[in-house]
Order: sequence, then structure tokens, then C-alpha cells
Amino acid sequence: MLSEILIIVIRGIAIGSIFATIAMSFNIVHGATNIFNFAQGNMFILGGFAAYFLANQVGLGQWTLMLLLSGLLIAAVVTIQGYITLLPLRSSVEQDSWLISTVSVSVIVAALLMITQGPFAYSVSSIVPSFRILGTRTPGAYALAIVAMLFWYFALRFFLRKTFIGLAISALSQDFDAARAAGLPVRRLQLISFAISGLMVGTVGFLVAPVISVSPDAGLKYVLNGFVAAVVGGIGSNAGTLIGGPLVGVVAMLTAYKVGGAYQDLASLLVLVLILMFRPQGLFGRVGARRV
Amino acid sequence: MLEVKNLVAGYGTIPVLRDVSLTAKAGEILLIGGENGAGKSTLMRAIAGFNKPDSGEILLDGKPIGGTAPEKVAQSGLRLVLDGHRVFPELSVFDNLRMGAAARRGDRAGFNNAVEEIYSVFPILKEKQKLYARDLSGGQQQMLALGQAFIAQPKVLLCDEPSMGLAQALLPPILAFLRRWAQTGTAVVIVEQHLAVTAPYADRAMIIERGQVKFSCLASDLDEKLNAPAHAAE
Amino acid sequence: MQAATNIQTGPVSMAETKPKGRFNSDLTQVWIGVGLIAITGFGPVIAGNSYWIHTFQLVNIFIAAAIFQNMLFVDAGQKSFGQGAILGLAAYVTAILYGLHGWSFAAASIGGIVAAMLGGLLFALPALRVQGFHLGFVTMSAAIVFPQLLVTLDKWTNGINGISVTVPALTNPFVLGMSPLAIAVAVFPMIALFVHYGIRRSKLGRSMFVAALSPEAARSLGIKPGVMRFVAFVIAAVGTGICGILYLPTVAFVSPQGFNIELSFVFFFAVVVGGRGQMLGPIIGIWIVYILPNILLAGFVEYRLLMYGCLTLLAVMAFPDGIVGSVERLRAKRKQTGGGEQAFRIDGFLADLQAGKTAREPSEEIAVEVRNGTKKFGEVVAVSAVDLKVRKGEVHGLIGANGSGKTSLLNVLSGLSRLNSGSFMINGVEATNLAADRIANMSLGRTFQAPRIFSQMSLWDNLKIGMDARVGPASADITALAKAMEESFGQDSATLLSHGQRRLVEVMRTVLKEATIVLFDEPAAGLSQSERTNFANLVKFLSRQMGKTVILVEHDLDLVWGIADTITVLEQGRVVSSGKPDVVAKDPAVQHMFVGSRHA
Repeated sequence: MLSEILIIVIRGIAIGSIFATIAMSFNIVHGATNIFNFAQGNMFILGGFAAYFLANQVGLGQWTLMLLLSGLLIAAVVTIQGYITLLPLRSSVEQDSWLISTVSVSVIVAALLMITQGPFAYSVSSIVPSFRILGTRTPGAYALAIVAMLFWYFALRFFLRKTFIGLAISALSQDFDAARAAGLPVRRLQLISFAISGLMVGTVGFLVAPVISVSPDAGLKYVLNGFVAAVVGGIGSNAGTLIGGPLVGVVAMLTAYKVGGAYQDLASLLVLVLILMFRPQGLFGRVGARRV
Repeated sequence: MLEVKNLVAGYGTIPVLRDVSLTAKAGEILLIGGENGAGKSTLMRAIAGFNKPDSGEILLDGKPIGGTAPEKVAQSGLRLVLDGHRVFPELSVFDNLRMGAAARRGDRAGFNNAVEEIYSVFPILKEKQKLYARDLSGGQQQMLALGQAFIAQPKVLLCDEPSMGLAQALLPPILAFLRRWAQTGTAVVIVEQHLAVTAPYADRAMIIERGQVKFSCLASDLDEKLNAPAHAAE
Repeated sequence: MQAATNIQTGPVSMAETKPKGRFNSDLTQVWIGVGLIAITGFGPVIAGNSYWIHTFQLVNIFIAAAIFQNMLFVDAGQKSFGQGAILGLAAYVTAILYGLHGWSFAAASIGGIVAAMLGGLLFALPALRVQGFHLGFVTMSAAIVFPQLLVTLDKWTNGINGISVTVPALTNPFVLGMSPLAIAVAVFPMIALFVHYGIRRSKLGRSMFVAALSPEAARSLGIKPGVMRFVAFVIAAVGTGICGILYLPTVAFVSPQGFNIELSFVFFFAVVVGGRGQMLGPIIGIWIVYILPNILLAGFVEYRLLMYGCLTLLAVMAFPDGIVGSVERLRAKRKQTGGGEQAFRIDGFLADLQAGKTAREPSEEIAVEVRNGTKKFGEVVAVSAVDLKVRKGEVHGLIGANGSGKTSLLNVLSGLSRLNSGSFMINGVEATNLAADRIANMSLGRTFQAPRIFSQMSLWDNLKIGMDARVGPASADITALAKAMEESFGQDSATLLSHGQRRLVEVMRTVLKEATIVLFDEPAAGLSQSERTNFANLVKFLSRQMGKTVILVEHDLDLVWGIADTITVLEQGRVVSSGKPDVVAKDPAVQHMFVGSRHA
């Protein structure tokens, strides 16, 4: 019994790591642009499809190459999306258009997948063999999910604190006007943040494809859970997502275990509403502190 | 160097500046004074591209920059230091200086030299170069904001209320720094409330009242000019 | 005191002779909409084409749902992506009660509406705390979860198999070969249009709109933004719920797949493509977003979603106002009235208002009193142990440098923020812990540094917000004033007003509200010299002729010294001097304020 719970918690943390990475990809774009990309879940699923088409049942060498390739491909797609989304914001007084355009891009991506691939879930083989925890077989991709989360957390940390472009993106999120006065190329930095968010979800989607449902309608589930993870951790706080993501994942897995798999999304929705009602700044967000 | 002709600008539908003209020459400090709400900050922000002018011209080296985005204005050599000692609070002091290089038309060595120069003028910044900018005092943040602008080596520097939120005693070293900076051939515009402290460092002065230029004069004549009209309310 | 006669001189705008175009085409659009719905609702029946009958029944139900989405999204500013779930909730609950439990259709329908209302309340709950994309995510999540629950709760819902029902009493021919259902389905979207139009023209609609665009302005007019959001969600839920009930006999079948997120997106996208806020928008929007892919391109039904997405993206990029909105914009551009020097003058109105009344002096009674008030923002003390007394009928100037605490004090007095310690009273009534809307109802009015003018409303509606904010019935004077202004400005746009005129609109709101205490937050900022003179006269008029108490936060010292009866000087949150203008001017503690330019 106890070990069962333990296994569920470990799987929850692994699934939650995916949510955390999506939440971090929200954060970097939101910090630089104040935009929340509703299409991020479908971009993540595109990564899964890339794994299916480019790297199903292949050797490690090709797999690694394809991982990079699909990350770059999806980064390119998200960058184009970002360019389109930012276009009307340049001149218009109406600053809400991104809400509509990112939702419609989300629908377009899902529809294109549906038309070309049909409404099926594709299964992708894992490059990492399954391993045993407490006597239970655990798919290797769960480990990859956690590794990917930690990799992206530290990679972002390094990028945002040590590199010139990363520092400039941080500066943008800390004081937009001062950043413009300093001559930082705002539009280019915003597009770079979109590209990085695409790189993140593209690679993670690729890595965890063996354990998720790679299907055209799965994107919404991930955009929702990624958002909940971001809100729980405190929007803008990447460190917060390291807790927020796994927390949401564990809640979802426990719900599935105790109540039923169909209630997972409901549980996430309840977590979201509770946090927004009682602690809108998130568990770890501090008012006024926008750490990246 | 910087020439503003008949500028009309404001926020949204609120007109603030009416028909303001000014020039700033290389190597000179122009001091702009006036009451709270007279439109001084709006003038700075309009020149730097944050507010789109309704009419009038802004020329930098003879090229019109009115209506250009602020980051483009900065890259073309006009740097605004915003009021309220605004730095990037979650970046280290050194990284704040690095951000200054975004608008710099220079090389790596030039950047290092500029940083060294800032450190020698404000040794406290060198001492605290690894700390977050949020951990600095208001005066140190102002030095940092100016240092960041110095790294960019702009042709024109606009400095909005460097004294805001600072102890008065901190102002003279900052003004002395600006004076030396101007002498290297930069056109400097300072907006300031503390005219008596600032005027000795400036070459020319201009008073703005209710969005219009009330008068311009040599900085050395400012005191006399201000005292000439009687106090209206008395 | 001759302020009444010399506030401004010159002609009053009532004299305009040119007939004015309508400010907006809302009513015209409603009638066009009614016509279009009638044609599509009744036309196919007359032509006897059962395919089109059925198709347009569903289309018209969706149009009604989109109309409520339009109201919720634009008039109340609530970004809901989950209205499809509300429709499904009502349809499902009705189907369960009627089809599985044998209730009468009427009783089951009531159950359906109650369920929809509860759904609307659930959406409104997070809307009390968060707005914008947060709310978008919450409602979208609800729309994702809803069909999942329908499948899972198969004990009650029949799960994936859905529920088939027939309602013969509704679907059998009734008059002219039309069934009661056919009539209801055609008439309900018309009713929805009139409901939307009626709400927009009503006090409720204006209040919702102001609450959505400027919560602080709403609160200062006695409106509770949270209540407005609740009301908007519930109205939309009831309307959408009725759509769900009509859906049931029309389709004769409900299943989880029918109410997935796609349905919510259709309503939302229809509003955007048709034109946000336009009465006709949802009709044109549903026709394009729904009919185009589902009927004209029926052979490519799998391209449906793609079409929704592409059409919407295209609309956002190329026609941000939507299709109807773009047409309306062109019309308004040609017909727009209300610009120029004469667009908004109030001298004539005010002169009428006070004709024959005598001037008064400030009394010794106290209108506003602050005792030892302190306001902190984190570590920063904005207002520090301030004592302040404002007499009834006086003009009280509050001056001080940027950050001296003037605006913080004003926000405390109008209830937008609360004192950390100390207290204040308004007309002798304790007001320290009252919310802004309660204080507004204690006869207090205020203006903002940036005037809160709403370009989507006509100039008169912008003023009428002040009438809406009244607590009691209007006096004969004010009623007459309102009537005269409605005639003059009913069809004018507020967009072209100059900043000075916008300021006057805000002042007139407080006059129409009959606020006895008026707070001005830097009213002279952005006014020209002549406008400042006029404004000074107006303040004198408000005080001396109308007996209002005026508290004035202002940087223009000339202006303050010219009109104030008492001046209080703040420095770093403290009162450093207070008294009659000539005394304060000589106070050594204040002298340095003039040093800035030495020419105050």
C-alpha cells in the first residue's frame, strides 16, 4: 500500500516535471512580452509527433540528432507564431489581441494534426529502457522528464544570468521602460524568448513522447496543466515551477489512483481555482519580486 | 547636436507640451527647470521616443528621430536616464553596466575601459559589482544608472531628475561627473528641481512652465532672472 | 461672486443646426438582425425544405448563445472561453430530468436553467479575484473538463452513448406548418438581441461597462465591480442555458462529443470575426464561422476546426474590429459628431441651473475630517499621522512635491485605499473602513488624473453615468439639466473631445450625481492657460453657487492660491503647514516649495 503510494508520487513528480517545463516556457515568454501562449500545449504535442516520425525505433545517434532537429523545428514554428502575435500589438491600442490569436493558433495546430494524422494516439518507442522502482517497472521516459525539467531549469538559469542576451531578456521583464531607454532591441529579444520557449517544449515533447498520448487533442491538457503549474509556483518564478509542476502532477496521479483517471483534469482545475481564489500570487510568488 | 523644434506632445489625449523648442550642443550642459507637473519629464520622454509627438520636430545630428521607438533612439546615440534611479533590480551591478553596451557603437576594449572609468569615478560600484542592484542605496543606483548610460557613450545624454529620492549631499559628485562627461564632447541635458545646486555645473538653463518654455538664459544668469518677477501669490 | 455669469462666454452647442448622425448603429443593427433571423427561421419552413429548417434552427440557437457571449465579453469585459459548457450543462440536465427521470419538459427545463446559472456562478467566482488570461484559462479548463465528466459520470448521463429524447408536443406542427419549437428557436435569438440592446441602454449595462473598463472609476461612482461581474455571468448563463434547452428538442440527442471545447470556441470566435461589441456581430460571425465550414464545405467537414482557427486569426490580423465592426467604423467616421471647440461647453447649462440663486460662503461645519491618518505601502509611509479638517463649502487645496502623499490621501478619502491607522469622517459619519462604493454613495465625487472617458459610449452616456450614480431621485433642476444635455449630446461621440473638455465631462458627472464633496486629482494638468482660468471659475462656481465642498490636489500653485479658501501643504506624508493662502505663503516651512522655480 505504502509502496504503491510511493510509486504514484514518483510518477506524479515525473508527469509534473513535464508541466513544470511547460510552465517555465510560459514564464520566459510572459516575462519578455506579457503574453501567455495558449498554443504552447499543442507545440509540445508537435514535439511528440516529431519523435514519432523522426525517431521511432532508431539508434542513439540518430535519436540525439533528431531531438535537436525537432527542438529547432518547433522553436522556428513558435518564433513565427510569436512574430504574428506581436504584429498587431505594435500599433493598436487594443492590447488583448494576443489572447485571441494564440487561442486560434492553438486550434489551427490541433486541426492540422487532426487532418493529417487522424484522431489517433500514436505510440512511440523509448530510447531509454524501463527500470524498476520498488519492484515496479517504470518507463524510462519518466526519468527523462525529470532530467529535462532540471536541465531546462539550470540552462535557463545560466542563460538568464550569464549571457548577454539572457540578461537582456531578464532586464526586459524587470523594467520594460528602462530596458528600452538602454537601447535593448526589444522586439528581437521577445522573438528570442518565443524561440527558447519553443525549443523547450519541442525537446520535452520529443523526450516524453513514449509516456504521453501523442494525439491531436492532447495539447489542451498540457497547456492547462502547465498553466496551473505556473500559477501554483507563482507566475514568473522558475524555481516555483519546480515545486508547482510536481505538485500538480502528484495531485493528478493521486486523483487518478483514488477517484479515477477521468478526474485528473478536474483535479487540476480545482487546484487552479483554489490557488487563484486564495493565493493569486502563487505559493512561492512574492509581490514585487520577479526572479527569473 | 540635439535640436527640438515646436514640439507638441502628451500622454494619450492629454496634451502636456505646447510648442517647446530647445537645442543642446556638444560639450555643453543644458539645465531644464520648472515646477512639478510643468512637463519636464514628458519632454524628456518625448525626445527619447516614449511618447509620440503630436507635432514638431526632433533632430539628432540633423536627422529626424521623432516618432522612433525608444530603443532605436538609444541605438542612434541619444540616451535617456529615467527619473527615480531606475536600474534592473535583479541584475548584478556589473551586469547592469553590461546592459549599457546594447546601445554602444564600440568594441570590447572600449567597453572595458568605460567600465574602468566608471569604477574609478564611483569606486563604490566596483566594491559592490557582484551585488544585486536592488541592494544598492538610491544614490548608488543613480550612479549605476548614469554609469550604464556612460558605457553607451551617447552623443546626447538626457538625465531626468538625478536628485530624485537622493540625499542632497549626493548630488554634487554626480553633477561633477556629468560636467566632466560633457567636456568630452557629449551634449548633456539635465532636468532638475534643485536649481541652485545644479546651475553652477550647467552652461545654459531653461525654465518650463505649464508645458511651455518660459525663458532660456545662461546658467550664470538664472538666479537673477528667477528673482526678477515678484512672487505671484504674495 | 459673479462666477455664474462668467464661467465661459460664447454660444452653447445646443444651437447646432446640422442634423446629427447616430452615434452608433446599435438599433439599426438589431432590426437588421431580427430580419435576418426571421428569414432564416421562417423562410425554410415556408419553402418546405427540411434540411435547411433543421440547419438554421441549430444556427439560430448558436447565434443566441453568441449574442450572450458578446455581451459578456465586451459589455462586461469577461473573457470566458467556456460558454459551450454552460449550454451543454443546461441541455444535459434537461435531458436527464426529462428523458431519464420522466419529469415534464417544463419542469426539466427549469432544472436546466438552474444548472446553467450555477455553472455561471462557478465561472464568476474566480472572476472576483482574477481577470484577463487567468479567467480565460479557468473557463477554458472548465470547457475541457465538462465533456470528460459527462463520459465518466455515466451512472447519471448514460456516458458516451448520450441521451435521445423526443418532445412531440414541441416538434409537431402548430401554426402555418410551424412547430412551437421552430417558432421558439426563431424568436429566442431576437429576444436575445433585444435583451443585449436593452442592457446596453440601461443603467445596469453602463455600470457593467464602466466596471469592466475602469474598476476604480466604477467604485468612485458607487458601483461594485464584483457584483457587476456576477450579474453579467448569471445573465449570460441564463440566456445560454435557454439555448441549451432549445438545443435538446432540436437535435433530439445529447452526447459528450456535442459539447467539447470546440463549441465554446465557436461562440467566442463568432464574436471576434463578426465584430466585438457589434449587435449584428454574432449573427454574421456564426454564419461565417459555423455555416461556411459545416454547410457550404460539408464535404470537407474535417477542415471545420482549421477554418474556425484561420478565419479568427485572419480577423485579428486584418480586421481587428471584425466584419460588422469594420463597416460600422467607416459609417461612424463619416457621421461622427462632437469634435471641435464647441463640442462640449457647460456654461449655459450651469447658468440655467443656478439662475436667481444667491452666493454662499463656506460654513464652519466640517465636511471631511482626518484624524492622525497613516497610510503605508510596504515600508514606504505615504501619509504620516495627518490631521485635516475641511469645512463645508470651502475650496481646500492640497499641495506638495511628487511623492508627498497628496494622491495617496485623496485615494484614502475616496475609499480606493485604506488607512493603516487613524480615522476619517465624512459629514460627521465614520468612513475609515468603508469601501469606495459606499463612500461614493455618501455624496462624494472625484475626478482622475487621466479623465475616465469611454469612447464606446456616446457623450451623453458618458455624462449619464453620473445620473446613474445618484442615491436619491433627482431634483427638478438636475432633471431639466439632464434632459437638456441629452438633447445636445445624445448622438455625439466622446472620442474627439479635447483633454480640457474631457475634464469637464468628469466634473459634470459629479454635478449630475449631486455630490456635495468633490475631490479633484491634479485637474489642471494638461489644461491650457485659458482652460485653467475657466476651470478656476468653475471650481469657484461649484463652491460658491452650488455650495459644494472641493478638495483640490494640484501642482499649479497660481491656480491653488487663486481659488483656495484653505491650503494644506504635505511633505513626505506629513502636514507641514495649513491655513489661509496668504498665511501659508509666508510660512518658512513652505518657502522651499517655491525655490524650484522661485516664481510660484
